[in-house]
Amino acid sequence: MLSETETRLLGVMMMVIMLGMGASLTFKDFAIALRKPVGVAIGLVCQYGLMPLLAFLLAKALALPPAYAVGLILMGCMPGGTTSNIFAYFSKGTLSLSILMTVCSTLVAIVMVPLTLAFYSQGIEGQWQVPRENVIQVLFVLLVPTVIGMGLRRWNANVGAVVEMLGGLLGVFVIVFLVGSWVPRNYQLLLDTGFPVYAASIGLGLAGFVLGYALSRTLRQDPRRSRTIALETGIQNGPLAVLIVLLSFTGTQQQEVLLIPILYSLFIVMSSSAVTVWFRRITAREEVARDAAKIGSMARA
Amino acid sequence: MDAVDPYDLRPWYGQYGAHIPTDLPTPAHASLAAMASAAAQRHAAQTAFTTVMPNGMYGSLSYAKVDALSDDFARYLRQVLRLQAGDRVAIQMPNCLSYPVVLLGTLKAGCVAVNINPLYTASEMVHQFNDSGAKAVVIVDLFADKMAQALPQTAVKHVVLTRVPEFFPPVVGGIVHAVMKYWNRLVPAHDMQATTLPQALQQGRAGGGDAAQWWRPLRHADLALLQYTGGTTGVAKGAMLTHGNLLWNVAQMRAMCGSHIDEGKEVVLTALPLYHIFAFTVNFLCMFDAGARNILVPSPRPVQNLQRAIENYRITWLTGVNTLYNGLLSEEWFTAFPPKHIKAAGGGGAAMHHAVVERFEQVTGAPLVEGYGLTESSPVVCFQPLNGQRTRDSIGIPAPMTEVRLVDDAGAPVPLGQPGELVVRGPQLMQGYWQRPEATAEVLRDGWLYTGDVAVMDERGTFRIVDRKKDMILVSGFNVYPNEIEDALTRLDGVLEAAVIGVPDTKSGEAVRAYVVRRDPALTADAVLAHCRTLLTGYKIPARVEFRDELPKTPVGKILRRELRGEVMTDMKNKG
Repeated sequence: MLSETETRLLGVMMMVIMLGMGASLTFKDFAIALRKPVGVAIGLVCQYGLMPLLAFLLAKALALPPAYAVGLILMGCMPGGTTSNIFAYFSKGTLSLSILMTVCSTLVAIVMVPLTLAFYSQGIEGQWQVPRENVIQVLFVLLVPTVIGMGLRRWNANVGAVVEMLGGLLGVFVIVFLVGSWVPRNYQLLLDTGFPVYAASIGLGLAGFVLGYALSRTLRQDPRRSRTIALETGIQNGPLAVLIVLLSFTGTQQQEVLLIPILYSLFIVMSSSAVTVWFRRITAREEVARDAAKIGSMARA
Repeated sequence: MDAVDPYDLRPWYGQYGAHIPTDLPTPAHASLAAMASAAAQRHAAQTAFTTVMPNGMYGSLSYAKVDALSDDFARYLRQVLRLQAGDRVAIQMPNCLSYPVVLLGTLKAGCVAVNINPLYTASEMVHQFNDSGAKAVVIVDLFADKMAQALPQTAVKHVVLTRVPEFFPPVVGGIVHAVMKYWNRLVPAHDMQATTLPQALQQGRAGGGDAAQWWRPLRHADLALLQYTGGTTGVAKGAMLTHGNLLWNVAQMRAMCGSHIDEGKEVVLTALPLYHIFAFTVNFLCMFDAGARNILVPSPRPVQNLQRAIENYRITWLTGVNTLYNGLLSEEWFTAFPPKHIKAAGGGGAAMHHAVVERFEQVTGAPLVEGYGLTESSPVVCFQPLNGQRTRDSIGIPAPMTEVRLVDDAGAPVPLGQPGELVVRGPQLMQGYWQRPEATAEVLRDGWLYTGDVAVMDERGTFRIVDRKKDMILVSGFNVYPNEIEDALTRLDGVLEAAVIGVPDTKSGEAVRAYVVRRDPALTADAVLAHCRTLLTGYKIPARVEFRDELPKTPVGKILRRELRGEVMTDMKNKG
C-alpha cells in the first residue's frame, strides 16, 4: 500500500498540478467562454452526466463487488484530468477548449462530485461509501491552488506560464509514479484480479471517448472539437480519485477501493496515447486535404 | 507649372487647423543615433521594449539597457569586426528584443543597416547580401540553415546568430527556446561559423571605448538604411534612406499626431514586422523618440498570437494593415473585451476596407486613421488627420513640409478632381536606389518622386488613391481600375476576398479577370457577374470569374496581383 509519506507527497503534487492548471487560464478566458456557454455546457454534461452514469452502468453490468463499484463510480464522478490538455496538444485538438473544460469541471467539482457520487452510490453498503466531507474537503483544498494559479497568471505572465508547464509535466509524472510504485508491490493482486475489473478500468475511458464524441457530434460540434471533447470526457482526474481514496479508507479496504482508480490511471495513459496518435493522423489528413484543395484550384487556373 | 496649379495652393492646410504646424524646424538631432541616445537618457528607467510570445511569456528591455547593449554592439562592429563607417550590416529577424539592440548598435557604429525579410529564400538572400555588399549579417537562428546555404555565394564575412527569446529571463527564455527547438523543431542545425549575439556583445563590452566617437560625426546626409523594395518590378532595389530622411519623417509623423502621442506614456503594439518601413519608422523610431513602451509580437499569424499581448498590456496605440484589423475583428476575445485604452490606430500598406474601419472604430471607440507612404519616402507621405473631419476611404492629407501633386503622363498637373499620378517632394525622400542610377532616374525627377499611384484630390486637399498606374487595365481604350471592381465584388455577401487583373485579349486588348475567394461555397460565377452588372458599366464587368481558396499575399497582407498575372502569363506561354 502507499505509505503515509507517499500520500502526503501525492497531496503536495496534486496542489502543484492544480496550481498549474489554474495558471493556464485567465479570468478573461472564462468570461469569454461564459458568453457562449455551449462548448462548456457540453463538456459539463459529458463530465458529470455521461461519465458517472457510464461508471454506474458498467459496475452493474459487470456485477462488481461494492469495493470495486465504489472505486469505479468515484472515478466516473471525477472532474477532467490535467493530462487531457497535454493529449489535446499532441493530438492537434482545440487546446483552449480542452483547458477550459478541465478548469470548469474542476471548479464545479466541489458541488457536482458529492452530488453525483451520493446519487450513484446510494445502493452501496454504508461502510464502502466515500464520506462526503472528505470529498468536499479535498476538492476545496485543491480549489485554492487553482485560484492562486489564476492569480499568478494575472500577476506575472512569465511565472504563470512556467507554473502551467510544471503542473502539466507533473501530472504525467504523478501517474507514472503511482503506477511505478504501486504495480511492483501489488503484482500478485493484479494476477488474481478478474476480467470484470480490467474491463471496467479500461472500458470507462474508452466508452468515455466514444460517447463524448457521439454526443458532441450530435450537438453539432465540428469533428476537431468533438475529438477534443472525446479525449476530455474519457480522461478523468485519476490522481485526485486516488488521493480521495487514501484519505477516506485504510488497510485492506483502502487497497481494494484503490484498485480501479490505479488501473484506470494506468490504462488511460495507454489508451489516450493510442487515441492521440490516431486523432493526430486524422487531423493531419484533414489538413492535407485542405491543402490539396488549394493546389487543385491552382492547377485549374 | 502655371499659376492655376491647384496643388500649389495646398488646400490641405485648411485641415491642419490649430493642430498641425505647416512648417517644421530642421530636426535638432544630427543622426538617429543621437536621437536614440537622447531618448534613452530622458526615459532611462522606463521599459522600452517587451516581446510577448503567444502563451504570454515575455521579456523586456529598459531604455537604459537598450542604450548600453546597442553601445556594446557598436563596439563589436567597430573594434572586433573592424567595420568602417558606411559599411553595411544586414539584419534579418522577426520582431524581438535583439532588433532594437542590433539596429541601434549598427547606426551608432556609423554603419548602414540593411533590413531583410527573414522569410526570404536563400537565393533572395544572396541577391540582397551581394547587392548591398553587406559585410556582416545578424540573423535569427530559425533561418540559420538558409544562411549557411547562402553564405558561400556572398562576400559576407561575419555571421551573428540571435534567438527569438534573446534577453528573456533565463528560465523563461530557456523554455521558449527549448520548445522551439525540440518540440516545434523550428531551429535547424547548421555547421556555419557564427558568433552568438550574447558573445558578440560580450566581446564588444570587453573592448570598451566610447561608442559616441563613431556616431557623433554623423550628419543628416549620411546613409542610415538600405531598405529593399520593388519586388513589383522583379529585382529588389535598395532605397537609400539617410539619417536626415528618417529624422524628418519622425518629425513629420509626430507633428501629424500632435497631442495624441503623450511623451513617455504610450504603449504601442507592434504586430507588423519591424523590417518593413512602416513599422520601422512609425512604431520603432517615432515611438522610441516619444519614450513609449513597444510591445513586440514575433509573429501575428495566427492573429490569436496577439491575444496575450493585448490582454496583458495597456495598449494605447496600434498599427496594422487591413488583413490584421480584419483578423482581430473576427476574434471573439477582441470584440468581447476590446482594449480600453486605445487612443488611435494607424492603417496603411494597402487600402483599408470601409467596413473594417467602421467596425474597428465601433468596437474600440478609437479612430483608425489611414495613411499612405512608400519605402522611397521613409515612408509617410499622407495621413488622415486625427483631429477634425476625416474623409473615409481616403489617404488623408500630406504631412507637413510635404508637397504632393497629381500629374498626367506629360508631367503636367491635372485639374482638381481628375485622376493623375501622385508625385511627392519633401525632406523624407530617399537619395535614390543603391547603385542603380537608371532605376533612380525613372522615379526621381527634378526632386519629385513619381509613385506610380493614381489618385484624385478634392477641394479640401484630401487625396484618394484610385489605383496603381501599373495595375490599370485598358479595355478597348477605357481605363479600368482593379480597386473599383474588387470593391464591387467584395460588396457581395458571399465574397470574402477578391483580386482583379487585366489579361491580354485579342479583341479588347486587355480583359478584366476576377479571382474570388468565396465565403459562401454555393456562390456561382453567374451570380457574381449578375451582381457586377448592378454596379458597373459594361466594359468593367469581368470577362471571367475564377474561384480560389486563397489569394497570394505579401508578408504584410497585400494581395499580390502580379503573381496572378504571372500565372496567367506562364499559362498562356505554355499553351503557345
